[in-house]
Order: sequence, then C-alpha cells, then structure tokens
Amino acid sequence: MFSLVYRMVRDRALAEDLAQETFVKVFNGLASYRREFKFSSWIFKIANNAAIDHLRRRELDTLSLDGPTDAPTRGNRTGQVRQLPHRGENPLEELEARELGGAIEQAIGRLRPEYRACILLRHVEGYPYEQIAEMLELPLGTVKTYIHRARNELRAYLGDAHP
Amino acid sequence: MDAPHLSPEEIALWAEGLLPARRAIHLADCARCRETAERERRLFVALARVERLTPSREFADGVMATVNSPQGSGRTPES
Repeated sequence: MFSLVYRMVRDRALAEDLAQETFVKVFNGLASYRREFKFSSWIFKIANNAAIDHLRRRELDTLSLDGPTDAPTRGNRTGQVRQLPHRGENPLEELEARELGGAIEQAIGRLRPEYRACILLRHVEGYPYEQIAEMLELPLGTVKTYIHRARNELRAYLGDAHP
Repeated sequence: MDAPHLSPEEIALWAEGLLPARRAIHLADCARCRETAERERRLFVALARVERLTPSREFADGVMATVNSPQGSGRTPES
C-alpha cells in the first residue's frame, strides 16, 4: 500500500503521512467495513483516495498560483511529475532519486494518476482486474482500457512504441 | 484460412504466459504479431522489475502512536 501511495505522490515523507492517515482511517472505520469487499481492497481504496485527494489539492494550489482555471495547460497538470532531485541534496531526496529515478519509474510517474494507479495495482501489486475495479470504484471495462492505454503510453515514454 | 491477428488482450495474455497454445501458435507464422508481442513482453519484464517500496522503520511506531492518541481515534473514515 505504501508503495502505491509513494509512486502516486512521488514524495517519500508525504507518502508516509498519507499511508499513516490511511491506517488511522482503517483503524477508526473498522466498524463500517463491509465484508462483501476484500479487506485489502478496502485499504487500497482508502489509500488511493488519500493520494488522489492530495494530487487534486496540489493541482488546485498550482492553478490558484498560476492564473485562471481555464488556462490551456490545466488538464496537463494533473499528476504532473515532480522533478526528482539531483544527487548531492539531502539524504531523503537522494533516496527518492535512487528509488524513483530509473527509466521505468520515470515513465510510470508521467502517467495520469488514474492510469498510474491501475498499472501499479496490476503489475506491481499483482491484483486481478476485477479487484482493481472494486478498489478504484471503476467499471471493469474502464480498468482494462486504462491499463491498455497506460501500457501504450509507457512504451512510448520508454522509446519502444509501435513504429 | 489464416488465423486472425492476436488482439491486444491476447497479446497481454501471451506476455503473462496465459495465452492458450491454439492462439499462441499464430505467432510462429505472423511477424507483425510477433513484433507486437515482443514489445509487450519487454514492457512486462520492465514492470516486473519495479520493486515494492517500504516505509521507514519509524513508520509503524508513528501509526501506533497516532492510533493510540486521543486525536487519532473517533474519526469517520471514507469508504
């Protein structure tokens, strides 16, 4: 779960805060847990919502600083990749650069948040499509489409797209 | 009649080793599908190497401290 949140927000300290917030919500909400859902799905759902909420808030903050909300680049800012620091900065930033600095990690970071969550849940966490749909509250067909598009984008970012 | 080209879903199944042999055999005769499948396999290999990252050692202590604090309990979760 931490892995997902970290790759969604691409900031280790923030990811720990959001993961902590998730566990506290899970602990406090045990009474409202519905048994027809897998427990892991419920946790991932809360974690993903926390990450998405943060990204939305960050986008709003960016927009309010940058000008009118109908600026042409608005849509492109969602899930914008935070630039990873260069080596020689503080130890936490160096750790982030090492963990998220590889080509595939950079490519995943460029995906829009919905695609990123789907591809991480499928390929890193290994969940079946049906469970991902449950976690993200999306129709199964949408999850399949997102994953298919995400793979195409990843190939393009990695320079391995269809000629 | 030649077998139809593999669909994107079938290509993904092949990359995961789950495509039935009766369809996978198409790759032996079709350079186009073979090329697409090989690209898919390379991406799957790259994704398989993505590590699951873990929080710091202090993380669990922080969670327990928050849960045990008066402010950490009694909040309504989203679900």
